[in-house]
Amino acid sequence: MLMLVLFHATVALVVPWALRHDRRVMTYVAALAPLATVLWAARQTGAVAEGRPIAERFDWAPDLGLVLQFRLDGPAWVLLLLVGGVGALVLAYSVWYFGQPPPLGIGVLVAFAGAMTGLVLADNLLVLYVFWELTTLCSYILIGGFSPEIKEHRRAANQALLMTTGFGLVMLAGFVVLGQAAGTYTISAILARPPQGVAVDVALVLILLGAFAKSAQVPLHSWLPAAMVAPTPVSAYLHAAAMVQAGVYLVARLTPAFAETGAWRPLVVVVGLVSLIVGGWQALWQDDLKRLLAYGTISQLGFLMVLCGAGTRTAALAGLALLLAHGLYKAPMFLVVGVLDHRFGTRRGSELYQTGRRIPFAALATALAVASMVGLPPFLGYVAKEAALEAFTHGGVDVAVLAGVVAGSVFTVAYGLRFLQAAFGGNTETPTVQGLKDDAVSVWQSAFRGADGARVRLPRVALWPIVLLAVAGFGAGLVPGLWQEMIAPYADRLPAVGKGYELSLWHGLGLPIALGALTWVLGAGLYFLSPRLRPVWAALSRLPTGRQGYHVVLKGLFKTARGLTRRTQVGSLPVYLAVIVLTVLLLPGTSLVMALNRGTVPSLETGRVQPWDHPVQLVIGVVVVSAAVMAAWVGRRLSAALLLGAVGYGVVGLFVVHGAPDLALTSLVVETLTLIILVFVLRRLPERFPPLRRTRAARVGSAVISVCLGAFVTTFLAVAVLSRQYAPVGPGYAREAAEEDAKNVVDALLVDLRALDTLGEISVLAAAAVGVAALVLTGMREERPRHRDVPEPAETPGGRWLTAPGHPPLGPPSVLLAVTARVLTPTILVFSVYLLFAGHNQPGGGFVGGLVAGTAFVLRYLAGGMRELSAALPVDASVLIGGGLAIALCTGAGGWLAGGNFLQSTVLEWTWPVFGHVKLPTGFFFDLGVYVLVLGLVLSLTRTLGSSLEKEPEKVSGGAS
Amino acid sequence: MSAGVHIIAAPGDIPAPHIEYGQLAPMLIVFGVAVLGVLVEALAGRPWRYRIQVPLAFAGLLAAFVWTIVLAWRHEPFHVAAMGALGVDGPTLFLQGTILVLALVSLLLIAERSAAHFTAQASALPGSEAEQQSMSAGITQTEIFPLMMFAVGGMLMFPASNDLLTMFVALEVLSLPLYLLCGLARRRRLLSQEAAVKYFLLGAFSSAFFLYGAALLYGYAGSVRLSDISAQAGQGAGGETLLLAGIALLSVGLLFKLGAVPFHMWKPDVYQGAPTPITALMASCTLVSAFGALLRVYYVGFETLRWDWRPAMWGVAIITMVVGAVVAITQTDIKRMLAYSSIAHAGFLLTGVVATSRQGLSGTLFYLAAYGFTTIGAFAVVTMVRDAGGEAAHLSRWAGLGRRSPVIAGVFAFFLLAMAGIPLTSGFTGKFAVFSAAVDGGATPLVVVGVLASAIAAFFYVRVIVVMFFSDPEADGPSVVVSPATATAVALGLTVTVVLGVLPQPVLDLAGTAASQMFVR
Repeated sequence: MLMLVLFHATVALVVPWALRHDRRVMTYVAALAPLATVLWAARQTGAVAEGRPIAERFDWAPDLGLVLQFRLDGPAWVLLLLVGGVGALVLAYSVWYFGQPPPLGIGVLVAFAGAMTGLVLADNLLVLYVFWELTTLCSYILIGGFSPEIKEHRRAANQALLMTTGFGLVMLAGFVVLGQAAGTYTISAILARPPQGVAVDVALVLILLGAFAKSAQVPLHSWLPAAMVAPTPVSAYLHAAAMVQAGVYLVARLTPAFAETGAWRPLVVVVGLVSLIVGGWQALWQDDLKRLLAYGTISQLGFLMVLCGAGTRTAALAGLALLLAHGLYKAPMFLVVGVLDHRFGTRRGSELYQTGRRIPFAALATALAVASMVGLPPFLGYVAKEAALEAFTHGGVDVAVLAGVVAGSVFTVAYGLRFLQAAFGGNTETPTVQGLKDDAVSVWQSAFRGADGARVRLPRVALWPIVLLAVAGFGAGLVPGLWQEMIAPYADRLPAVGKGYELSLWHGLGLPIALGALTWVLGAGLYFLSPRLRPVWAALSRLPTGRQGYHVVLKGLFKTARGLTRRTQVGSLPVYLAVIVLTVLLLPGTSLVMALNRGTVPSLETGRVQPWDHPVQLVIGVVVVSAAVMAAWVGRRLSAALLLGAVGYGVVGLFVVHGAPDLALTSLVVETLTLIILVFVLRRLPERFPPLRRTRAARVGSAVISVCLGAFVTTFLAVAVLSRQYAPVGPGYAREAAEEDAKNVVDALLVDLRALDTLGEISVLAAAAVGVAALVLTGMREERPRHRDVPEPAETPGGRWLTAPGHPPLGPPSVLLAVTARVLTPTILVFSVYLLFAGHNQPGGGFVGGLVAGTAFVLRYLAGGMRELSAALPVDASVLIGGGLAIALCTGAGGWLAGGNFLQSTVLEWTWPVFGHVKLPTGFFFDLGVYVLVLGLVLSLTRTLGSSLEKEPEKVSGGAS
Repeated sequence: MSAGVHIIAAPGDIPAPHIEYGQLAPMLIVFGVAVLGVLVEALAGRPWRYRIQVPLAFAGLLAAFVWTIVLAWRHEPFHVAAMGALGVDGPTLFLQGTILVLALVSLLLIAERSAAHFTAQASALPGSEAEQQSMSAGITQTEIFPLMMFAVGGMLMFPASNDLLTMFVALEVLSLPLYLLCGLARRRRLLSQEAAVKYFLLGAFSSAFFLYGAALLYGYAGSVRLSDISAQAGQGAGGETLLLAGIALLSVGLLFKLGAVPFHMWKPDVYQGAPTPITALMASCTLVSAFGALLRVYYVGFETLRWDWRPAMWGVAIITMVVGAVVAITQTDIKRMLAYSSIAHAGFLLTGVVATSRQGLSGTLFYLAAYGFTTIGAFAVVTMVRDAGGEAAHLSRWAGLGRRSPVIAGVFAFFLLAMAGIPLTSGFTGKFAVFSAAVDGGATPLVVVGVLASAIAAFFYVRVIVVMFFSDPEADGPSVVVSPATATAVALGLTVTVVLGVLPQPVLDLAGTAASQMFVR
């Protein structure tokens, strides 16, 4: 069976390509694939009839339950005959219909036949789903692919695809739930031991939704009439004989296990009956013959749903017989519409007049098909319909179902007649018995009473498929025993009411035959009365339809999507950030508030939290907060930068008050340098921030969110500190530092305990300095500036005080600044050296010392520009950076010399005449390296940014400079 | 911190940390090659750089990949290496292998020379004279290769990190180069730079949240190791609020990286602005890596708290799937559309995480591999469709592409169908694997939402296919530039998408074996 599917796939891929030069031969060869299906199915007849299903298995992805399992039983056999037989005939018909059949279309048709074969044979829910979606895809291409330039065709294709794939996915969800509940995805195993439970009930509803959409059941039917824009062979095959029957087939497969479960039977029967009646009613009014047939198909599929889902033996017999019959009569009706369309250029009933006389044989064949449809003996349609009526003659709720079935059949008879007369006859506006009779006679005469000049010759390949299919419906009706034998093994699994019913042409006089006759009479009556009912139809058609529902859903989706996009994807960074922050506030934030309320976290009011230790903290706090608020408020960039600096200095103050002079010192110097560098950058930006484009509400919102985030972080910090369970590591470090004879714990950590880390950090600093220089200077494509290249400026006010005064970077030259710089430089440098030496025991250290020394030179730069800076320290910054790193490394290597490890520190002690006894830990040299490197870093940054400032900023076309 | 504690415990000699170089070799190779790349930039002459960098990067990734396979092959008892910092186990090796292969494919796109994607000189202002000059000088920006290698190294480290600090370092190592790379597009540079700034700022914020969460968890458990946190949580040691808030804040950082709603907003902007090869790298490797880290954190660290975090993860998964799928419908730019599709896929993947089972883990692993290849292939096709202004990313420009170059349009259509999860593509297999795991894990409603979101998603994928095949081509439409490297990338993506769709079992086996021992602790 896998071979059969693969054969289709091969033919679909190879034949259109290999035989693309002769499209006719290509199509005939392609028809061999479905023909092979028929032949193969025919060979298995015996086995199936004996109730020995043939199974095959191939592991595909067993981990996921994806095992290719195939199984041929009665229902599969019936549908296989239909799929293969109609497929082969439709392909042959295509040769005439298209003239030059398009290779893509033929390939996809064959692929469809293969997918359908796979679907029918699949014995695994997932495999069935895979083939199910493949048929949908084929249908999509076949509807839209022949004339994609027409918008209506594209829309129809999309609608069909969306409806069937969408609900196909819903069905997949149902399959998964069902499979998980059953512990297997093998259909035969599930049927043998059907699972129970609420989940299964839900799953079955989901599965039914998929089946209803595929079989175009009301209210999911609107895609089928729209799909009639497809070429006629496609409509005949996909939308009458094969694909749309898949939903019914699935219901038939699952009914033996689930007919009694949950909403299965009520849902299937109600939806089926509604479709039967609504479809029949709509078919009565269509002018486009293909749409008429489409509604007729909806109606007949509804009938099939009722039969296949009812879950009784008789109904199942009737259902499968009707499944075959439906394919055999609906396909030729479609094909004949194709002939009409082709020969007379229209398929609208109102525009076709007396065409039956011109193609009499086609008309007669169609009449046979209609006869089977309305259930005239001895056609297969009659056999099936008799069984169907019999199935619901047992009273109870069945009476309502029976009434529905009869009503539906009345419509079937009426639109069957209408189809015949609209297609081949004359007047359809006011049908009369006499008119119908005249038309029939004229067709008969044209066919058998000599040559009628009006006759149009139809090629055999156009006519024969129609005739063959119609006659097959007749022939199949003559051998009801065969179908009985084939279907019985399946139907016997369902409960039988009364004695075992058998498909047969004659059951004696009884209710079924009477009801059948009644439908013929009433149907004919309805047809002749129909002109008077037209106003009713017009009134009813104002009711909302499935098609409108589809469009409403689609429009709603678009509207939602647009709205969502407009609101969420505004492209504004503040909004994005606000969303992230809000989420944080919403989830952990609320949990924090709730925990505080419930008391599951340490309360903030236990006295361990106090507003301040010292009133100065309050003052500094107020300064910090107000500076922060104002920084967000002011319009000038420089003011904002200065206010941010104020925040930083305030924090430094807090450190001091809290007893962390070391931290405060470092923080202070870093703050200062950051501020200076920030000012450099600001020079190249406009003075003020761009005008605010956000609304006041948005800004207030941002403010609220920011305050909340601040509050959240603060509270959490407090809670986290109060929840401490572990001993702090600080005292341990203090002990360690004492062992090293150092009183400054921070410095001991930096240069001794974790010296390797510090070495890494200063390497990163060095790399960062090089990186900044490279980034800023590459854009300028110029040699790194040297002090002697800077041109001598005219006399400046600070000239007497400075060594080599140049252009100060900010504003005009200032004497005061020049004096201050000159006087303070030595002092600051001495202080920095003091910090370096004191580091071991007092606040200080190489890092702070280097930064302080850096500020001295920055001050000189601020007073006298690049020239002055170069004169004040005529050493290249890179030499300092490299030198500092080298000193640190040499100190580390010194540890080896002393017989220890890398960076192991020892204490050098010696006595000098004046100094007396000197104790010098080697850590000092390491600190010296840090000092030199940090100084070099500050210089490098200043020089890089400074030299970029001294050049005119590049003009940018279009943008702000 | 742990080292400090160690000193206190044993003053005197500090033992050198024990590092299993052999087991960490893939990461070390990639980082080593990245450093070598920097040296090449510094020492090699300009004309030589490209010629050295590209083979170097390829060789590095390939060697790391081979080493990963050898590690997985030898099946040594998996354990945590490098003093408990990095886990070497089945899922990690699978993820690392996937990242390396995907990085190799992305490298094909990045190294493409016939259609330059990257600006000649990142520091030249857009529209300035300097830019003109550097372009006319034909300079190629070869720093991209070491940057990419650093990012890939970070990605390898991210899912392997067994403690939160290592994970944070990995997060930064992978993110920082990406921020830079995003801003290097050759065309529409302002858009590209805006994308980089947005990504950087938002990424920095979410990293800060990650760090804050890690700090809270440290406060709770007294350790940043995932196994210790799990053990503490298992004992119910009190301080639940700290723990849960820590998890939440940590998740912000992780979910941001994989673009789950509501932390997804950077994705469309960044995917659109970044050079397309970088977008491909982010959409595949970063996603795999971020999911790997998420899986490790949730499966190892917070496994005992499953009942606490699962509801929130349900919510995130649902809105991610729905928002990603619904908003994608209105997109008119292919790259933005693919970005939203990536968001929706993140949602689908989260259903696998929610499953918290071996099956969920293996399903997610498989899905990641499958999706990674498909998405790289799709972005590779995007780079091929070009007009005078560079890539023709607007959907309307793709009208009728199916007529002009049916093969490329067909391949792209196939990728889209795979993303939609049509059977016989890897997308179906992957989606099926995570969904069935989620159903087993009792998350049926989530799967139903997932299926509905897939249906909506299918809608916009099909829309693109319709535009390509069923509309008339524009007169001055874009042309398709086929060059060997990009074509190879497309072919690889296509092959994997087909093979994982038609014959998924070997890779499923692989993912299943990888997941069989779960993550080490």
